[in-house]
Formats: sequence, structure tokens, C-alpha cells
Amino acid sequence: MHKEGVKKFPYYVGINSLAEVATREDRVCVLNILGTESRTVTPVSHEFSGGNVVFGTSPGRSGQALETKVGAIPVFNSVREGIEAGHKFDTAVIYLPPAGVKDGVAEVVRFNPDLRKIVIITEKVPVHDARIIRAICQTNGVDIFGANCLGIADAWNKVRIGGALGGSKPEESLVKGSIAIYSNSGNFTTTIAVYLLTKGWGTTTSISSGKDVYIHFAPREFFNALDNDERSKGAVVYIEPGGYYEADLEINKPTVACVVGRWKARLTKACGHAGSLAGSGDDARAKEKWFMEYFGVDGIYTPEKPIYSKKGAVVTNIAHIPEALTKVMELNGIEPDFEPRGDLSLKCWFSSNAGLPLPQDLDIKTVRAISPYGEQIEEVNKQIGAMYPRQSMKDASGASMMDPATQVTKLHGVSVLDASRRSLEENLVMSLLKDYPSDYGRALANVAFNAYLNLHNDITVLASDAAREAENSPNTVLSTALSVLGKGKVKGAVEVSTLLLELFQYSGLKDPTGDFDFSSILKGLDGEKKRLLKADKGDTLAQTVLKKIDSLEGKSVFIEFIKSATQGKPSLDAILSAIWMTLGWEALMTKRISRNTILMLPWYSRIFSTMVGASVPAKKHTKDSFCGVKCKELIEEWGFTESTFLALIGRKPTDVELFEFSMLLGLLISNGPGTISAQGCKGGVSADGPESPQRVQINKAFVGFLTHTGFAHGGNGYEAIEFLIERFRDRDLGNPSDRNHGIDLKKMADEYASWYKNYKAEQKAIGNIDYMKIPCVNHPVFKGKPVNYDPRERFVKELFDEKGIYNIFHDFYLHLVQALFDARVTPNVWCVNVDAVIAVILLKIVWDAYKKGSMTEKEIENAAFTTFLFGRMIGCAAEIDDHINRGRNMDTRTPASQCRFVG
Amino acid sequence: MQLTGLLWGHRLLKKVEFPSAEVLGPEASVDEIKALIQKCGEVFIKPIFKGGVGKKGKAGLIGRAKDIETALREKERLYFVEHTFGNTKTKADGVTFEGAVPAQHEVYFSITDSTVYRAPTMTITHHGGVDIEELPKDKIAQVPFDPLTGLKSYHVSNALEDLGAPREIISPLVQNLPKLWTLYNNYGFSLIELNPIRMSPDPRSGRLVPVACDFKASFDIDDPAWKRLELPPHLFASDYSEFEQEINQLRTYQGQSDVFVINPHGTITAPTFGGGANALVTELLGERATISSDFGGNPPYEKMFQISRIVFKYWLRQSNVLFIIGGKANNTDIYETFRAMADALREYFHKNGPTPLFVVIGRGGPNLVRGMAYMRDTLDTLRLPYRIFGHDSAMSEVVNYAMKIDDWMQKEGRRMLLEKWGVVDRAREELKEYVAT
Repeated sequence: MHKEGVKKFPYYVGINSLAEVATREDRVCVLNILGTESRTVTPVSHEFSGGNVVFGTSPGRSGQALETKVGAIPVFNSVREGIEAGHKFDTAVIYLPPAGVKDGVAEVVRFNPDLRKIVIITEKVPVHDARIIRAICQTNGVDIFGANCLGIADAWNKVRIGGALGGSKPEESLVKGSIAIYSNSGNFTTTIAVYLLTKGWGTTTSISSGKDVYIHFAPREFFNALDNDERSKGAVVYIEPGGYYEADLEINKPTVACVVGRWKARLTKACGHAGSLAGSGDDARAKEKWFMEYFGVDGIYTPEKPIYSKKGAVVTNIAHIPEALTKVMELNGIEPDFEPRGDLSLKCWFSSNAGLPLPQDLDIKTVRAISPYGEQIEEVNKQIGAMYPRQSMKDASGASMMDPATQVTKLHGVSVLDASRRSLEENLVMSLLKDYPSDYGRALANVAFNAYLNLHNDITVLASDAAREAENSPNTVLSTALSVLGKGKVKGAVEVSTLLLELFQYSGLKDPTGDFDFSSILKGLDGEKKRLLKADKGDTLAQTVLKKIDSLEGKSVFIEFIKSATQGKPSLDAILSAIWMTLGWEALMTKRISRNTILMLPWYSRIFSTMVGASVPAKKHTKDSFCGVKCKELIEEWGFTESTFLALIGRKPTDVELFEFSMLLGLLISNGPGTISAQGCKGGVSADGPESPQRVQINKAFVGFLTHTGFAHGGNGYEAIEFLIERFRDRDLGNPSDRNHGIDLKKMADEYASWYKNYKAEQKAIGNIDYMKIPCVNHPVFKGKPVNYDPRERFVKELFDEKGIYNIFHDFYLHLVQALFDARVTPNVWCVNVDAVIAVILLKIVWDAYKKGSMTEKEIENAAFTTFLFGRMIGCAAEIDDHINRGRNMDTRTPASQCRFVG
Repeated sequence: MQLTGLLWGHRLLKKVEFPSAEVLGPEASVDEIKALIQKCGEVFIKPIFKGGVGKKGKAGLIGRAKDIETALREKERLYFVEHTFGNTKTKADGVTFEGAVPAQHEVYFSITDSTVYRAPTMTITHHGGVDIEELPKDKIAQVPFDPLTGLKSYHVSNALEDLGAPREIISPLVQNLPKLWTLYNNYGFSLIELNPIRMSPDPRSGRLVPVACDFKASFDIDDPAWKRLELPPHLFASDYSEFEQEINQLRTYQGQSDVFVINPHGTITAPTFGGGANALVTELLGERATISSDFGGNPPYEKMFQISRIVFKYWLRQSNVLFIIGGKANNTDIYETFRAMADALREYFHKNGPTPLFVVIGRGGPNLVRGMAYMRDTLDTLRLPYRIFGHDSAMSEVVNYAMKIDDWMQKEGRRMLLEKWGVVDRAREELKEYVAT
């Protein structure tokens, strides 16, 4: 049984004209008004429609209100409560979750006899519920729009009911005119309206029908209401496959039907609720045919082959709608509603070729966007450098990530294995700029690092000496030095960076190593600013550095600029800043680094230099030399990796040693944000409050890293060295790189394995489960196969083999894991892990000094620990910078509720 | 979500005490099959396919046997038989043995929600056992009924009388068919079809009993009621590819997440927003599209991020173009959705290394410029080429542009980009592949 409505329908339909769909008189109640979607959409609809929402419901929230620009909408627990409070409405909008929609309809129908319309926005309403909803509303004489729709709107009445037709600015798309729109797609309802504007057509009523199995206000009802609406002179319908709602229609006004979705017929499963399947009679082609028959046309309208009649046209591309409609209306003698607004040609708002030579026809240039987007784009284009949304960076990183399967960590997308083939200076630059420098950039970085290596008479090295004398571990010694390197010590360089950024940020400079005319910038530079760049009298180091830079193959706009501004006499601080501006500029302009990062680069640079410089006692820093090498020579001839080797071992490395040492440092870069060292530096940033990035003390964050290393984390690398020294101490081993060492490694390994087997059995027999373990064999991830390998160890081994580099200690380790298996100490052949690789490389480097007695075991232990710190400072620099850019204040804290008391 | 065959069908019919033919599964022993042949005189051997596969009988996929040797031979023939229907190829996984049901009458019966009547509708004919589409309309009765009261005996008797069905079948059908509404209405069905129902004489009373001899059902994925049937999930697994299954796990009511694999060898991956855009873009892209998707409906950041991760994981490496496309969103927050996609892209590059890609975007909606700027910054960071168009560019023109870019990337863009990044080995590999094709 259904209530009687419009007589021509054998079921209830109340709306007889499109003018009745959404009127100024409709009064609306919104169910679940405080839901996430409704909270944003309802106020816009309410304001656009002159305040048509009388109340909303949200169980348990009675008394609250939804604020809008035209007054607050009261909220009640239920429909009954709202009605009892004296509110009257004839239209309900449903934003309930799918499982609640049927009950919502029942509630609103049961308690409001005045109800005439329901708009259901909710998606994914079960078909079971949809059929009951229809039955309830048929019995009670209520029209339904949806479910799974975006609601209804009327441009004449300036009313929008239900969903978000027209988004947050409905007036942009709902422009008064003569065309009615009916669309299976919510988004296309207004997209079509906007497209119509380009040919001068406005709209009357727009209906988003939804695309569920049950469409209650279907094309049949729409075309009847269209006939009875004097305002509507024509219509556009957008139709998708599935369902017989378009069969046997009576269409009396000029109409363009857009039928899309032929591809869906190829699917073997239903697509969407009302999806059609292969071979069913309601696919897109069938629907195209129905409409072609209504219009008396024999094909699809395209601009190339326009097929249309006075009755209408069928298109399969929404872009063809405006043109087809105009043609059809022309045959009916109906002119567009107004002058065309905008056009549909390609308008590119943002573009980049990423340096590729795109063919001309594809190389579409950007144009100014329509208002207000053009103005907004102008604003965002003024933003220099990367901007990241702030979030809690506890245990998170935008810099490093460890792959749990391979245990290989990547820093800025570069695996530590690849990084280990690079020099220290290259990796330090990459840690902050997210990319490796060019040869010129690398040379500049070497100059910057080496220029500040000598700490003669500097308080930092005096402080670290005091810490060393007090028998502190290397990390503590270095943190003492860095504690002194506060913001005040780098103030000059940071000021210069700030000045250079201000001067060049909107200058159009893209490549700071190319040609650039800075004469106009130079002209505007006042005396005070020039003084900031100028060297004090007698700054000979600055001149040495400048001479070196001038001799390099390459040119820097910033170096040239500071030279021009100071008549060739810039200060060392100014040079340091100019170097880092040169290195970081492209990364800044392409938004790979932030503004704050580029300003702080000189500080990082000084920290790296000080880390290495302060690792040797003050007595090795003289007025003009460092560890016995003249500073001039260091600046002019040495790479920073070599200088670092010098600081550790006391001499210049050979080429092979340099390669091995770089590899060693590269492997140590990072193990992801979860390591204690990373946590330490991140805590240091978090506590200073990265939301005010300029306040973060970068040296203190490095101190956080250093204090979060120790004998167990970083210092433990020595265990394997100690183990190997014990094995080789009494052997007659001269050069560990010599394959013809004359030592029977297999025998040595077998003997040790046999001894270890007995030792282990004895210890277990006496109940000592804490017996000595062999360091650096086995790994929790790389285990369980007959023969196991740590992929990182394999990588290094292959690289060494490729270069013909031999390492007896590594070879011994490989014999040892086999011997342990042969002696049945291990169930399979364990892997030699990456820590062993680090130990064998370092031991090989110091072996000669150890044998000669110029390096004690204690010094080797310190060197091992310090090497770890040098490698890890690369990764920690990246973590610190990343946390400053992305983190929130105090974000590394653990909530009290997650902490445990252990009594 | 479709279910065909009696193996599971008879268990569902049992829930409402609707008689069905005796059935044994693939695990049946020789003795059991023998016993079934002895009891029923004959067995039908049918391959088990997951989901719908069209007409099995026509394709010679039904064996029949009156002795165990033939039965086993047919089992061997059909156990892993391959079947092609439409564009799809599927392989059987096992067979069922169904006891023959002697009968003089075969009935077709189905219930589904009809878009013609906008009501649940029974379709019935006593000329069953054939394709329903092949029968003239006057031999079929379609009866819509009120979902609040359900399918009643009188619907069945009136329909059969109108069709002029033999009198002896009316009463047993009137008694039994309404039970199927209980099944349909309570367990999230969107279709139940029994064809044929064989009207078999009861050995004791001689009265005719309707026995379901085949079973077909579809379920409404959005109606949790089908879960009450506790069917094993693998029954529906083959309906979806691994990729689709992974995305479907994120199916919650806020935000669409409908995806289909269009061409596993496609070169344009297009996260599409809105059903309309999805229909249009998939149609225009044709075989170039890896997937067809609709991610509209204002998905929250986390959902969009997870969806993007899955999409990228499966499709990015082979794609020349990442094509993010939608109309002017009414409600979907562009900043949130673009931020999620950009972050997922960044994560992909970080995890898997760079992959050559041209990004083409066409979009409008709330927070548009913020979202586009975030995406731009990310793409700049990843050093990817891109074009971002506003909603005032015709969507189909943006699609055409994406297709032209696809051609160029395939021809030389991919290699140029790899060389620019210094990934020379892969550039060489790709060149070889390109020359080979």
C-alpha cells in the first residue's frame, strides 16, 4: 500500500515539479548533525539557504549547538525531543552511519507527520535497508533522494539541502539559468554545472541521485518534474551503467544525456551497488541506445561528428556536454542564459620538467589561475624552502629508515651500503642537503671543514682536554667540546647566512654556480651590512681559504658576491656562510631543505670540524698546524676524510686505507630513529621545542647524541678487536693486507672452535649461562639457513674482492664461522655480521702501530669508539635537522599512563 | 561476492529446510560415491569454480555417471578444468558429486531487488532448467512484493496459476518457496537463484517435493548480515585480486575505496576521486590503466595514506604516469588527501628507491592550493616532473595529456629521468626492454 501522490505514477511520488525539489520554504532537520561530515557541510548549506535548518539530532548531545554565520543550530538527542521543543520541519537530511540509516528514517517518519522529503547522504547503506526505507516512505508519502548522494540544490531559490553540492562555495557553481541537472555522480552534478557556464548556461534544479540499487527519485520522476517546471528549458542527465531506471522514459524537453562506463561491461563482478555485469541488459551501451531512441539520433555526439536532434543528444564525455547542449537548444530556438564564463582548455597551475627536455607539445607552461586561486598560488610561491606539517616525531623519522628484512638503513633514500662508497665529507653534506655534492661542492665542503679543524687556544679543545684528563670516555670528551660551541660562537656566520638569504631569495637565482648578475643587489647593500661581511685586519686564514676557493674549478655566486662587497677581503665567517649557501641553495629552491636548515648550515659545519678537532688533545693543535700538518696544507691539499684519519691514527692514510676508512664510516651512519644515539639527539631537539626552530641549540642536540652513546652503544665495537688481538697477538703477522701471510687460518679457526666447544660445555656444566660469547658472529635476522650471511658483510666483501683488497682478520672470521659449525658448536654456519666488518677494517688500519707499540690497546679502544662517533654524527645530523623541521615541542616524552612503576 | 554450486548451497538451504539434491565434495571417497550412485541411480559431476562463471552445462562442464568408473573418469577430467567466459579464464579446484533427482517438472526461481519495480521481486517459471533469458516473457512471472511483509504463499500460487503451471506442482512450491525469502532477507543476499528446482515424487507419499539441483547467490558487500552464515573467507577470495583484497580491508564507511584491476600490465596508475571521474577516466584510459578506482567521499588522512601505500606498492614501478584526477570536490579535503598521497609517495621512494614517473594531476575542491603546493614540494624533492591542472581544465583534456605523456615516457622519458638521476643500470635495462617490445 502506498499513499497517493502524483497520479501518473503507480507508486508514491510527491514532487510534481522541479521547482518543488529544494525551496526557500523547506525546513530541515539534520540527523547526526555533529558528525564529521555534517559539521563541515551543514553550516555552508544553512548559510547559503538563508538559515533553513531548524535543528539537528545527535544522541547524548542535547543542548549543544552547531555554530554557523547566520546563528547557531540547536542540537537535540532525538527527533521527538526537537519536535517537543516546538520545531517544525518537512525535510530530513541523514548523515548517520550506514547501519543507522534505516532506523533514522523510521524515527523521523514516525515522529513527524509533516515530513515530505528525506535526503540520505550516507554511503554503503545495505540493499536490505534500502528496500525497507522505500517501503516506509511509500506508505507514509515521503520522497527520498539518495542514499549515497550529495543532495539537492536550486540555483533560483538559492537553496542547497543535504550534501555539499558546490563545495564550500556553492554560489560559484549554482548559477541561475535554465538547465536542470540530474546526475548519478555527486561530484559531476556540480562539475557539469561549472562546465555549462563555459557556454553561458546556468541551472535551475540540480539533483544528485546517488547510484545505489534503489534510486527513489529516478529519471522517470525527474523528467515528469522537468515538464512541470516552467523555469527549466532543458536538461542534462549524467548516467552510469546498472539498473533499468532509464528504460521507457518520456522526455519532452531538450536534453543531453551523458552515458559513461562502457568499460564496466568487461567486469565480471558488480562495480558499485548498482553495477551491471557482462551480458546484462543494463550496461552503458544499452543505456546509450535507449537515449538515442528517445532523441531519434543514430550515434554519439562528438565535436568531430556532432550528431543531435531537436530532442537531444547523447555524449560519452562530460566535456562535450556544453557544446552538445548549445547545439540542441539552438534547434529549439533557445539562447544561452548569459555570456560564456571561462573555458575548458588546459590550464596548468604548477609545473616542473625536472630538468628533462620535454617535447614542445607536451611542455605546457603554467598560467595564472582564476581568482581566488591565482592569488593563493602567488602566496605559496613566496614560501622559500621546504615546509613540513608538524607532528610527533617520537620514534619517527623523515630522514632514516631501516628495512627490517635486510637490516639495511637508508638515509634520505641512500642505503648505508651505497653511502659507504662515499667520502665522509660527501656524506656529511648529504646528511643535511639530502643529496651528494658535485666535485666543486665537495671541494668547498672540504675547505669549510678543514678551515675550522685547528682549535689552537680555543676554549672547546681546552674543555675537552680537561674532560679527557678526568678519564672520560671519548663521547663525553667530545660532548664537553660541543657544549662550548653554542649559538654565540657561530653568530657571525648565521648572521651572514641570514643576510645572504634575504638578499637573494626573490632574486631569481637558481644555480649558484652559474652566471648571475648581482650588481643591483650589491648596489642596495649598505655600509653596516658590508661590515658584517668584512674580515678583521690580519685574518690570514680567510685569505688562505679564499685563495684555495679561487683555485678550484668552479665559481660561486655567493663567494663572488662577498668578495665584491668587501673588496676581496671577506671574513672567514662570511666565507663559511657563502660556501654553505652555495651548497644548499638549489636544495632550498627546490624545497628539499627548509629555510631554517640553510641558515644553520654553518653551525653544523663548525660542529663537524670541532668533533674531529677536539678528538685530539690541545697539544696537537699549534698556531699553524694540526697533528703535525700545516693548516695551510690541510686547507689546500687535504680532504676532510683524510684529516679525520689523521686525527685518529696520526698519519695520512694510503689510498686503500682511505677507501676502507670511508667505508667504515659509511656503514656506521645510522640504524634508524630507534637507536639510542638517534633517540638522544631527537630528545635534545624535542626539549628545546622545534616549533620555534630558531631556538633549538644544535650543539646541544649533538651532545644528546653523544651522551646517548657509551661502552655498550658505540664502544662495544672494541670487543671484536680485542678478540682478534688475542688471536693474533702472538702470531708473526706483519702486513694484514698481504695474502701471503703464511698463517694457517683454517687450523687456527679449528683450534679455537674446538677450544670454545669444550669451554662452552664446561661452563654449562657448572651452570654458568653467562659464558663468553664470540663477538660479531650470528644475527637475529640472518639465521636459520644452512649457510648464513649478513648482506652488509657480503656487500663489503664483494667490494673488497673487486678492488683486490685483502684483510686477514676478515678472512679469519669467515674461517671461524665454518669451524664453529664443523665442530658442532653452531647448528648451521652462522653469519659474520656487520660489526665484525667494522672491527676488522679498523684493526687492519692500526695493526702496524699496535705491533710497533706506538698505539696501545687502550688507544685502539678509544679509536674504535671515536670512529663510531664520527660515522654516527652523519646520521644524527640528519635526524636533528629532520626533527627540528617536523617535530613538535616535547614530542619525545612518554605519557605517564604508559610508564611503569617497578617496585 | 558470489557463490555458486550446491556444495555450499545445500548448507545454506538447510538453514531454512529447503530440500536440495544430495551432494558430495571433492574429498568424497570411492565408497561414498558408489553409495550415492546406488541411492540415486546416477550422479552429476560438476567442477567447483569460485564466483560466477556463466553457464557450465553449455560449456560441457557437467559430467554424468551411472557407475563408479565413469564417475572417477569425469572427476579426473573436470577436477582442474579450465573455463573461459567473456574475458575471463578460470580454473576449477575440485568437483562435486550430486545425486540425480528424478522429476517430470523443472522450475526456475529467483529473488532479487529489481530496479524496474524498486522492490524485492520473485521470478518464477515452471519451464525451468534452461537459461531464463531464452524463454519468452509470457512463460515467466515476475512478482514484486512488499519487503515489510515478505514473499507470501499467495504470491507463488497466483504467479503459477497465471502461468498455467501443472496443478500438482503448485501446492509443494507454495509451501516451500517462501522459505527462500527468509534466507534472502536475513543473510545479506542480493540474489538467490535456484535453477532447476526438480519436482521429485516423495517415495513414501508420492507427493511432489521441490529439490534444488543448483544454487547461485550474490551477497551485498555492505550488509554485514552475510557474515552470520560463517562462510569461509576463501570462498570469496577469488572474486578479488590480491591488490583488491588488500584495499578492501580498508573498507569503512567514510570514504570510498572501490578498486578494480583493469590491466595488470597497464602504464598509467590513476587514483581517481568520485564515481563520475572514475567512470570517465577509466573509459578514456582504456588498457593503459592499471586500475580503476574511486577514492572520493572525503577519506581521512590515515585511510588515504594506507590506500596510496598499497596502490603504489603494486603499481608504481611499472607506471609511466601517476595520474591523480577528480573534478572539483564538493567535500573531499584536497590538502588532506594530497598530503596523504605525497607522503606515501615519498615513503615509496625512500623504501624502494626512485622510479621514473611523470605526475599529472587535475583537481579542484576545498583547500586546493595548499594541497597542490604540498604535492608540488614533494615532487620537487623527489625530482619528478609534473603538471598540475586546476578544475577549470576539462577532465577529458587532462586525460588526453596524461596519455600523451605516457607515450613519451615509454619512448624516452623514463630512461632520460633514470640517467638524470644517475641510475644508469636501470636505464640500460629499460632501454633493452623498450627495444625488445
